[in-house]
Amino acid sequence: MTFVYACRATLSKVPPLALLAIGAFVFLGIFSSWLAPYNPNTQNLLLAGQGPGADHWFGTDHLGRDTFSRLIVASRTSLVGVFLVLILANTVGICIGTIAGYRRGWTDEVLMRFVDVGLAIPSLIIALAVIGIFGTSYWNMIISLALAWWPGSARISRGVALNIMNKPHIEALRVLGASPLRIYFFHLLPGTIGAVLVYATADAGAIALAIATLSFLGLGIQPPTPEWGQMLVDALPYLEGDPRQVILPGLALTFAVIGFNILGESFALNRVPAPMSRRMLVSRRRVTASWKKVMV
Amino acid sequence: MTASQLLTVGNLTIDLLTARTAVRPVDGVSYSLNRGETLAIVGESGSGKTVMNFAPLGLLPIGVEADMSGSVSFDGQELIGASSNDIRALRGKSIGFIFQDPMSALNPARSIGRQIGEMAELHLKMSRSAADRHALDLIKLVGISDPSARMRQYPHELSGGLRQRVMIAIAIAAEPKLLIADEPTTALDVTVQAQILHLLKDLKKRLNMAMVLITHDMGVVAGSGDRMVVMYAGRAAEVGPVERVLTQPRHPYTMGLINAIPRRTDLVGAAFRGLPGVPPVLGRPLEGCGFAPRCKFVLPDCSTNRPHLAGTTDPSILAACPVVNV
Amino acid sequence: MLQQPILTVENLKTSFKSIERGKQVKAVDDVSITLYPGEIVGLVGESGCGKSTLGRSIVGLEKPDSGRIILDGVDLGSLSGRRLRKARRAIQYVFQDPYASLNERQTVAETIREALLIGGLSSRAGREKRVNELLDQVGLAALFKERYTRELSGGQRQRVAIARSLAVEPRVLICDEPVSALDLSIRAQVMNLFLSLQKDLGVACLFIAHDLALVRQAASRVYVMYLGKLVEYGPSETVYDTPSHPYTQLLLASAPDADPLRERARVVPLIVGEIPSPTSPPSGCRFRTRCPLAVEQCASALPPYLELSPGHASACHFAGDLYMRKKSAIQPAPHILPAVGAARLATQL
Repeated sequence: MTFVYACRATLSKVPPLALLAIGAFVFLGIFSSWLAPYNPNTQNLLLAGQGPGADHWFGTDHLGRDTFSRLIVASRTSLVGVFLVLILANTVGICIGTIAGYRRGWTDEVLMRFVDVGLAIPSLIIALAVIGIFGTSYWNMIISLALAWWPGSARISRGVALNIMNKPHIEALRVLGASPLRIYFFHLLPGTIGAVLVYATADAGAIALAIATLSFLGLGIQPPTPEWGQMLVDALPYLEGDPRQVILPGLALTFAVIGFNILGESFALNRVPAPMSRRMLVSRRRVTASWKKVMV
Repeated sequence: MTASQLLTVGNLTIDLLTARTAVRPVDGVSYSLNRGETLAIVGESGSGKTVMNFAPLGLLPIGVEADMSGSVSFDGQELIGASSNDIRALRGKSIGFIFQDPMSALNPARSIGRQIGEMAELHLKMSRSAADRHALDLIKLVGISDPSARMRQYPHELSGGLRQRVMIAIAIAAEPKLLIADEPTTALDVTVQAQILHLLKDLKKRLNMAMVLITHDMGVVAGSGDRMVVMYAGRAAEVGPVERVLTQPRHPYTMGLINAIPRRTDLVGAAFRGLPGVPPVLGRPLEGCGFAPRCKFVLPDCSTNRPHLAGTTDPSILAACPVVNV
Repeated sequence: MLQQPILTVENLKTSFKSIERGKQVKAVDDVSITLYPGEIVGLVGESGCGKSTLGRSIVGLEKPDSGRIILDGVDLGSLSGRRLRKARRAIQYVFQDPYASLNERQTVAETIREALLIGGLSSRAGREKRVNELLDQVGLAALFKERYTRELSGGQRQRVAIARSLAVEPRVLICDEPVSALDLSIRAQVMNLFLSLQKDLGVACLFIAHDLALVRQAASRVYVMYLGKLVEYGPSETVYDTPSHPYTQLLLASAPDADPLRERARVVPLIVGEIPSPTSPPSGCRFRTRCPLAVEQCASALPPYLELSPGHASACHFAGDLYMRKKSAIQPAPHILPAVGAARLATQL
């Protein structure tokens, strides 16, 4: 019941454009296997480099693979990647952040110094370092990105945790004699997770971009699995002759990132309530018209 | 409207429309205020007392629309239906405001001297240096010690009482004819409250200002009010001079409120007197009398016929209760 | 009639780090109070006097610097960990803001059930029975059980908060301004609830409030605090009738009277100046910078508590004179404000 309430409350605040972009992204990602008309990896050199046509709506790439299918499956690749990084980074981040916020004192200081170090190093450098040491592979990419992202999540979690700990209803639990474990698991953690996940979804755009960047550099998703960054780097040599192959993945990536960024902004800004729409005013006035006015 | 009447409210009804709902916080209220007089408006949460004074002056939160009918006449000018520019011209210049929480009403990023001076620049068309001098005079007038040093201080450096004095200085900077004070002392300690009320009384006399004092504290009403309006569920329950209403109330709600005040003669450990039930939540206008569910004099008619303000055996008091005032 | 006190607070000191660097705020400075079983005691004072901090220190929400808290004969300082938590349950706290002290995501029943669980009631049937009993005790109809706390009004929420506190069967309730956030007509209902708890359950209450009239009727004894120290204490009738400390006199005299004729005839006392900064309180008597009776002696040393009658004491050199009404701290406020700018203001009207 409360989950539905929270979902509805959050969704009502999201701008429709962002919802559209993200919704499309998620939808394509989940149903890609059914939606893609062709196997994205089937090569057909005879059909290579074709423009948009009846068979291949977006044409084919330099190896004859259907671009449309590749784009759709690429969205799934990104989605799964982003999802894994978010889960990993936020699990670690929330744990560390809430423990720091709950315990305060030395624990807080030490943990936050780790967070500070993590935040000081740019995320891509961390990713490059890890991949450089451990080699390129799918999981190395995921882990390295999670390593880059957990400090931000920890910092936000700590802030939220501090906020919650100071609330009177938590103080009331302490006065009742609730054990620290009960307060942590039943009250602090649920409250923090809710707030942090909201911020985390805003980060999804940046993570998608990071995955694309690493794949572009050849350090992330390896061929033949389609991925936007990878499609970009493959299509670069053909930029002059066939710019479509560069533009399409670029556009897809752009829309996804913009969608998540708008989402993130809508949470970050303290939104001033918008003045009421005409439609709403009219419907309210219909209600009040039925109210009698009395001559006093 | 006679020459001495500064503010006349006639059958004022306000409907508030928001994205979520529509409510009627003010339902057919009438009263008047003379020049130099203090009108106390008493009510609890949900009585509509704040909306009644702020909505006709265009002070509503964003996202809320108000449909107002009836008449609010200030110094001969009708406010209902007036353009927002006309109303804005009145705010600050002819009508000053004091809000409940001085911390949120002051700008934390500007010095108090600047905030007061800004009013003078805007409404009295003073130059910057003249406005600063005027601000210094005002700071002295409201009794703030060490005025020249205080001019440069910021709100967070001052105590609650001092901030409220700053807000009063801002409110009277343009020498308004009317001061609207919304619970000006509720957030303050009782010793500071006494000082602020004393200050307001003195300023009123000097500047010949009328004041609308919105409060829920009967002691404040007794000390500072000349006439009072008791609000319940968006309607006026009783209107009359303070010393008559507080000593001989003519509406069951007013009687209950006054009865609820602890007396010196009450023994320690004696039960507290109050009213049963809860105040109604604002929404659509209520059928019949709003107080009926909690009233000990209730008759079956009360829940269907809405009572109007009518004369009582005391010629100066109007009360909306036909049961008590036969 | 000699009972053992249920709660003794001895020489409690609690301080905070101030926003100003390197300075301490001595919020509670050497305060001792006693509570006997089943009595209601009031603690009054204005903002910054430390009464809330004292209440919070007693229940463990703030860590005192020094002093002892003795609950039913046991010094809480000698316990730690789980045993301390268990012992502390006997002192519960009712918060001022009923809109923040409950978990909005829980129903009324869940809130009370959790408290019972914490208190060690393990059987589910036992818990359900207690929930019904507690709701009955605080005057909430059974239909409120499955409502979410966010749906309730202020008075109803405060009742749920009280029921939650009662769930762990406390001996002492510390109530921090429990009715100030409630409507006037509702306050009596909640106050009567406290009185009935005292009568039926024998729970002792420490009532922290600034509404003097309310405290007078509810509490049999009262403590008055100023800037971290107790300035006067005693039976409430005596303190209200013959206040024997200048601050108490000014406090009582400042409260407005709801009788308009008395109020208009009343001498409005003037209390000069602002509360001194809590980081550097005045030497000697804390109140001397605003006291109309202050003399040199007041600055050199803290005035000792002078016992004026059994249980009634005041920390002022003139306590005896004030008690015998030979002196008074109340002087009327001046009616003339500084005449600055009056000329220009008058011409612009």
